[in-house]
Amino acid sequence: MNAPEELIVDGRGLTPPEPMERVVAALDMLQPGQRLRFLIHRQPYPLYDLLSRHHYRYEITPLAEGGFEILISPP
Amino acid sequence: MNPPGLSYDQAPPFSVPLRFFLTAPWFLFLAAAVLLWEGPGILASRWLPATLALTHLIVLGFMAQVMLGALAQILPVVVGVSIAYPRWIAMLIHVPLTLGTLALASAFLGGGPVGFQIAAGLLGFSFSAALITFHRALWRAPVVTDTVIALRCALGALLVTVALGLLLSGYLGWGGFSLPILQVTNLHAIWGLVGWTALLVAGVAYQVVPMFQITPLYPAWLSRGFAPVVTAMLIVGTVLTLNSWPLAATVAGAVLAVTLIAFAVRTLLLLYQRRRKIGDPTLIYWRISMISLATGAAGWLLTRWMPEGANAPAIELLLGILLIVGFPVVVINGMLYKIVPFLAWFHLQAHLLGRAKPPHIKQLLPETPIRRQGWTLLITLLLLLAAVLYPLFLYPAALALGMTGGWLGVNLWRVAQRYRQALASTLLDR
Repeated sequence: MNAPEELIVDGRGLTPPEPMERVVAALDMLQPGQRLRFLIHRQPYPLYDLLSRHHYRYEITPLAEGGFEILISPP
Repeated sequence: MNPPGLSYDQAPPFSVPLRFFLTAPWFLFLAAAVLLWEGPGILASRWLPATLALTHLIVLGFMAQVMLGALAQILPVVVGVSIAYPRWIAMLIHVPLTLGTLALASAFLGGGPVGFQIAAGLLGFSFSAALITFHRALWRAPVVTDTVIALRCALGALLVTVALGLLLSGYLGWGGFSLPILQVTNLHAIWGLVGWTALLVAGVAYQVVPMFQITPLYPAWLSRGFAPVVTAMLIVGTVLTLNSWPLAATVAGAVLAVTLIAFAVRTLLLLYQRRRKIGDPTLIYWRISMISLATGAAGWLLTRWMPEGANAPAIELLLGILLIVGFPVVVINGMLYKIVPFLAWFHLQAHLLGRAKPPHIKQLLPETPIRRQGWTLLITLLLLLAAVLYPLFLYPAALALGMTGGWLGVNLWRVAQRYRQALASTLLDR
């Protein structure tokens, strides 16, 4: 069975650092070729720093209903 | 341009804020010891030397200790300016602040002029180091957010508070000059509590209330206007007081009180609008603090219309307890429970990523002790208020204060211990 193309973490409405804890846990499970879609109610600045340090690529898209979607690809 | 966020490269070492946070709770414990030792007489007037010793153990030993430690953390990560030699700077602020607070309390408790001289030297040194470092950093802020505006005003107010404090300790330590002591003391207190404390709490609240309580943002008119209005009214009120225009000064005071009530009520409303229905354990601290601020400011406003009650010792003490213990001590205590485990987790995350799993934040500090200590703090506040009216409540109030301070100290110490254990266990695994 193939792994799904995307993992989704919805951190909206959770208090810090729970969204980041969930993203870091999901990053550990990420398979090659898989991406992580992360939904969050505010800009997760510390996460960007962490992703850059570990050479992950990411795209940020503001959501129409407020908040952000961050699409993370492995290094 | 986006405001800077918490970044691993900019964050100072954990030991920098931690040394302040681990010291502060024990000053509440010490304040409780002074209360017990002095007995109910301490609540006869706010002007008694023992009462002043007690007040300074709380405002310098607990409040300023945490506030300066938090600034060393906030400036690099929230404002985006780094502080050079953070470990040295932290030590140069922390050690003389701790010793100076002890010296000042001892001086009030009977140490005589030499005690005030030592306290003035130590506290003057500590606050000078803090003011120079933090002012230099704040005026270089790359982005001027509402928080930066509030912090600049707060640090301006700290400068006035410290200058007046040094003037007073100079008067008590060396003498040789005349001073309108009542007026200067009142100005020292109001600049410290309303300027430095309320503005710092507000500047931090703009960030942490929406972030940790998942509420909407503060309305722009409030977060942009609060600190400048408060600072302007403090300056106007001070000039009017020093020129002996008491009626006009009261009007400036009334504007200040209404502004503070607006901030407190708006914060309570935001907390009511939070999107997450499971209450955060620090929610109770914010609520008690903001209710105390609104009640204290409204109480002060009411007494201006009842001249016979305005200077009654009991009313002054009730307002003092609300505006010192109820408002800042409670909210600082609640914020410590967010800051300390968060920083421990944050630094562990940076050290351990890819090598080991950092402990969950609730393993670093479970919610139950946070909630329980919050209730003891509320009981302490109520007992202290009751002790003003019924002196026998003083003994349970003192015991409750010692218990709640010690409990906070132990809870924070445990987080630091778990942090060290988690770090040590990974180093051993390597």
